[in-house]
Amino acid sequence: MQITINNKSYAAQENETVLDVAKRNGIYIPTLCYHAKTGQAAKCRACVVSVEGMRGYQTSCNLKIKEGMSVVTDSKEIKDAQRMVVDLMLSSGYHNCLACDRSGTCELQDACYHLGIEKTTFSDHPTGIKDESSEFIVIDYDKCIKCGRCVAACNHSVVNEVLGFGFRGLETTIMCDDNIPMGESTCVQCGECVQLCPTGALTDKKSRGLGRSYEFEKVDTTCPYCGVGCQMTLHVDRAKNKVVRVEGREVWPNNGMLCVKGRYGFEFHASPKRLQYPLIRKNGKHERATWDEALDLIAEKIKTTVDKHGPDVFSALGSGRITNENNYAIQKFTRAVIKTNNIDHCARTCHAPTVAGLAHAFGSGAATNSIDEILETELIFVIGSNMTEAHPVVSYYVKRAAQNGAKLIVCDPRKVDISHWSDLYVPIRVGTDVPFLNGLMSEILNNGWEDKEFMKNNTENPEEIKKWLKDFTLEQSSEISGVPVETMKHVAKMLADAKKVSILYTLGITEHVCGTDNVKTLANLQMILGHLGKRGCGVNPLRGQNNVQGACDMGALPNVFHNYQSCTNEQAIVKMENDWGVTGLSRKEGYKLPTMLHKATTGDTKILFCVGDNTVQTEPNTAKTIKEVEALDFLVVVDIFPNMTTEYADVILPDVCFNEDEGTYSNLDRRVQFLRKAVDAPGEARPTWWIMQELGKRFGVDLKFTSANATWEDMRQSGTIMGGITYDRIQHIGLQWPCPTIYHPGTPILHLNGKFTRGKGLFSQTHYRSQAELPDKEYPFILSTGRRLWHYHTGTQTRNSIGLENIFPEELLEISPVDAKKMNVKTGDMVKATSRRGTITLKAWVTERSPEGVTWCAFHFREAHANVLTNDAYDDVTETPEYKACAIKVEKVSDGVAVIDRGFRQARP
Amino acid sequence: MAKVEKCSCGNDEEGLLNRLEEIIISFKEKPGALIPVLQATQSLFGYIPQEAILKISEILNEPLQKVYGVITFYSFFSLKPRGKYLIRVCLGTACYVQGANEILTALKQQLSIEIGETSPDKLFTLDVGRCFGACGLAPIIMVNDDVHQWVKPNDVKKIISSYKNKKEVKQEEAKNGY
Repeated sequence: MQITINNKSYAAQENETVLDVAKRNGIYIPTLCYHAKTGQAAKCRACVVSVEGMRGYQTSCNLKIKEGMSVVTDSKEIKDAQRMVVDLMLSSGYHNCLACDRSGTCELQDACYHLGIEKTTFSDHPTGIKDESSEFIVIDYDKCIKCGRCVAACNHSVVNEVLGFGFRGLETTIMCDDNIPMGESTCVQCGECVQLCPTGALTDKKSRGLGRSYEFEKVDTTCPYCGVGCQMTLHVDRAKNKVVRVEGREVWPNNGMLCVKGRYGFEFHASPKRLQYPLIRKNGKHERATWDEALDLIAEKIKTTVDKHGPDVFSALGSGRITNENNYAIQKFTRAVIKTNNIDHCARTCHAPTVAGLAHAFGSGAATNSIDEILETELIFVIGSNMTEAHPVVSYYVKRAAQNGAKLIVCDPRKVDISHWSDLYVPIRVGTDVPFLNGLMSEILNNGWEDKEFMKNNTENPEEIKKWLKDFTLEQSSEISGVPVETMKHVAKMLADAKKVSILYTLGITEHVCGTDNVKTLANLQMILGHLGKRGCGVNPLRGQNNVQGACDMGALPNVFHNYQSCTNEQAIVKMENDWGVTGLSRKEGYKLPTMLHKATTGDTKILFCVGDNTVQTEPNTAKTIKEVEALDFLVVVDIFPNMTTEYADVILPDVCFNEDEGTYSNLDRRVQFLRKAVDAPGEARPTWWIMQELGKRFGVDLKFTSANATWEDMRQSGTIMGGITYDRIQHIGLQWPCPTIYHPGTPILHLNGKFTRGKGLFSQTHYRSQAELPDKEYPFILSTGRRLWHYHTGTQTRNSIGLENIFPEELLEISPVDAKKMNVKTGDMVKATSRRGTITLKAWVTERSPEGVTWCAFHFREAHANVLTNDAYDDVTETPEYKACAIKVEKVSDGVAVIDRGFRQARP
Repeated sequence: MAKVEKCSCGNDEEGLLNRLEEIIISFKEKPGALIPVLQATQSLFGYIPQEAILKISEILNEPLQKVYGVITFYSFFSLKPRGKYLIRVCLGTACYVQGANEILTALKQQLSIEIGETSPDKLFTLDVGRCFGACGLAPIIMVNDDVHQWVKPNDVKKIISSYKNKKEVKQEEAKNGY
C-alpha cells in the first residue's frame, strides 16, 4: 500500500496508522498520550494532521491508513494547531526543564523543541504539589499532562490497578487507590508508570539529581533476581563505577515491565559490604590473603584429602544465581579434575522434582511453553504459586490474560494475592495436590471429557491410567483435600471445556515429600486433556532463581553432564572423556545436596566447595545444617557477600556479580539470555570460571576457561541442545533451547504436536502421602514458607540495596484472623514460633491470606528465618526438602504497635 | 433495585456498615454493580464514608481507584456528609448567562459557606451543577428534589428561610435518595 505524506509517497502496510508510517520514515509528529504499549488513546490531540478529503484535523495515532491517503503534517496550519495543543498543555501546571530528571528523554520537551515553543504564551499554574511518600517513585503533579499512560500502564500492562483518574473536568488528576499518598497505597512500586510517563511527572526517586539520561552509559542486560529473566537497561555512571538507574527493555520476555526488585534493587553491587579479597581462616579469624595463597591452599588441601580418601570426599555446589559459564566451570572441574560426580546446586531445594517428574513423563524436565503464550490461552490453572510475589512479571501476564477474558483458576492453601484476579479460587489443604488432581482426572475420565485421540496416539500407557483412576472417587479426593465435591466438578468441567489450558506451578507443588509425584500428576492431567505441544498450553514450572534453569542445563547436578547427558551412561561418559581430553571420569551418580551434607557427619564428605549458595540459611533445619557444615574438614565459599555460610568457611573467595562480567542466564522458558559487563568488580573479586581455571592449573589441567565466552564455547562444543547458541546470536534477544545447530531458530514450544522428547508421553500412578510432620496437640500449626515480593533468597542482594528494607524491614509470621483471635494476637505483636528443631521470634501479621491452622514466613532475614523451623524431610526421588509443611506452635511474647491493615491486593500489611 | 430500608440495627456507623455489607453482597454477582451499590451507600449514609469505599472495593473485588474514580466523577455522590438540604446551583450556559453566578454568591453569603461545604447547623450543603436540562427556566437552583426557577439574588434569603421553617421532612428525601 502507498500513502502520501507531505507530497511524498511512502510504502505502508495494512492496519498501520498514519503515525506508524510517519515514525518509521523519520517524520516527526508530536505525540504524548500514545505509546505502543498503552495503545491509541487519541486524547492529547498533539498529533493532529490534515488528510485530503477529510473534515477538520485528524489524530494520527489512531488514524488507520487507506490506499492513496494524502496526509499533511508540516503545513503552517497544522503546526499552529499542534503548537496550540502543546502550548495549552504547558500552561496547565508548571513545566520547567532546568532541574528535571526527565530532561533529554521527555516527550513534552521534544514536542516543544520540534514546534519551537520556548515557553507557554499563557500563564502557567504551579501548585507545588508533589507526592514523595513512596520509597521509589516521585509524583510531580505540576508536570502531569493527564495523558493517562501511567493509568493504562498500571491497569492494563502490569494490572496492579492502583493508579486511576479521580474527579472530573479541570480537576481531573491521577491518584493512587482512594486518593491517598502513593506510599500509603497498595502500590507495589513496580515502576511501570515511571517507565511510560512521557514527562517528568513520574520519576525515580533514587536517581533524582544524579544526572540526566544522556550522561549515562546504557548497558543492556538480564535481571539478576527471579527466573523470569527480564531484560533491562542499566544506566551506568562510568566515573563512579555505579549503576544509577534501571529501565525495562521492551523485548520478550518482559516487554519493558519489571518488578520492584529488578527496577530498584540494584545498589548491592556497589555495597561496601561486598567481599573484595580472598580470606583464609587463621586462628579462628578470617584474614586477607592473596589469590595465590588461597588457591594454593585449596589445591593442596584437595590433593592431600582426595589422595588419601578418594575423590568422593569432595563435593561442590553450583548455584541458580550465578551464570551458566560459572556453573559449567564448577561441574567440569569437579568431574574432569577431581573425578567425582558430587556436584549439585540449589535446584535441589526447589525444582528438582520438576526436572525429575517432567523428564520421566515427557523426556524433558523444563517448562514446555513460553511466557508470552499466557496471553493466548483460554484457561490458566495456577497451582502452588504465589506469583505476584515470587514471579511478579509472569503474574502481570496472567492478570492481563484474565482481564482479557481468559479463565483463571487459582488453587493454593493460602489465599495468595493472584486469587483476587481469579474466576475461581480453590483453597486446598496443604500437601494434598495428588488426591485433588487425581479426583479431577477421574471426573474428566468418567464423563468422557478426555482427549481420546491424544491419549491414544501420543501416550504410552493410556489404558493403565484409566484403569488406575477409575476407582478413585471424587468423595475420597474431597475428603483428603478439603475441596467440596461440587467445586471439584466445576474445576474439572472448566478444564475440559477450555480448548487451551496452561498450567503454571511453583514450589507449592515441588517442596513436599511427594514433590515428584505432584509434578507427575500435573503431567498426567495435561496428557489426559491433550493440552501439550500446542501454543498456549503446557506444564509450566516457574523456576525460582535467575539461572536455576541454566544451572541444571549446565550439569551442576549429580546425575547429568551439561545438556542432560547422563553421567552413568557409558556412551555419554566416553563422549565427554573425548571432548574434555581426560580419562577416568566417575561412573557412578554423585551425592545430592542433602546427602553431601549428611555425609559430612559420617566423615564421607570432607571438602565442600560452595559457590553462591548460602547453604546454612537455605537448607531446612538450620541447627542440623550447622552441625554438618562444622563437621567438614574444609569448606570453601565463593560468594559476593559475607553470609551465614561464610562464617564457617576455611577459605572465602570474592565472586563478581551480575553486572561485572559477561555471561548468560537461562530463564524459566529455557531462554538463554545475555549479561554484559557494566561496571568493574570491587577489589580483587574474580569470576568463578577464572577461579576454576586457576585451580585446574594447580592440578596440571588446562580447563580452557580463558574468558566467559571461552567457557561457553567449551560447553557448546560438547553440548547438544545448546550447540547452536553463541554469544553473537543472543546479543539482542535470547534463544530458547533446544537449539542444536547454529541455524536453528530455537524452540518456544517443547513436544510440538504431541511428539514427546522421549517418544510417547508416560502416565504415572501417583499416591497420596501426607506431610512428614503433621500438626498435633503440642505443635498445632502448619508452617509453610516462601518468598516475599520485596526480598530475594537470603537477602544479601535486596537487603544491601537501598529502600527495599524500608518497605519490608523484618520477617512477619502470617497468621489467620481466627487463630489470632484465639491467641489474642494482632498485627505487629511479637510472637515466638517453635518447632521440634528450633525457635524464632518475630512480628505477627494477621491476614486472611492464611487459612485457619496455617502460618507462613520466609527465609530472607537471618535474624528470624523459616529454616530454623523447617523439617529436614525429603522427597524420596530427588531429596528436595519439605519446606512447605512442618508443625509449629505459636506463643505471644508481647504487644506491639497496631498497624492499620488495609487488607488486600498487596504484599504487606 | 433493592429498596434501602430503615436500618433495624440502629443508626450507628457500625450498624450501617453491616447493612451496607448485606447490600453489597446482594449485588455482588450482578454485572455493573458498582454504581447501584454506590447509590445505596449514598442513600444509607447520606454520603460515602471511607470505610464504605474499602468495603465496596473488597467485596466487589474492584480496585480502590476505580471506586473512588466513579464517586468523584458523578456529582450525585459525596465524600463528605451533606446537610439535610442539598442546594445545587446550575452553572450551565443558559443559567450562567442569566446570572447564576450572582445567585451562587448570594447563597455563599447567606449561608456563610463555600461550594461543597455544609452549614454548621447541618441543614444546607451548597453545590453546583452543569445544566439540569431546564434552560427555559434559567437561572434555576435545586433544593433536594425541588426546582426553583427564574431565581433572582434577592430571592435567595426567602428560599432558605422557607426550608429552615419547614417542620417535617421525610428521612428519605433528606438523604437525597431515590
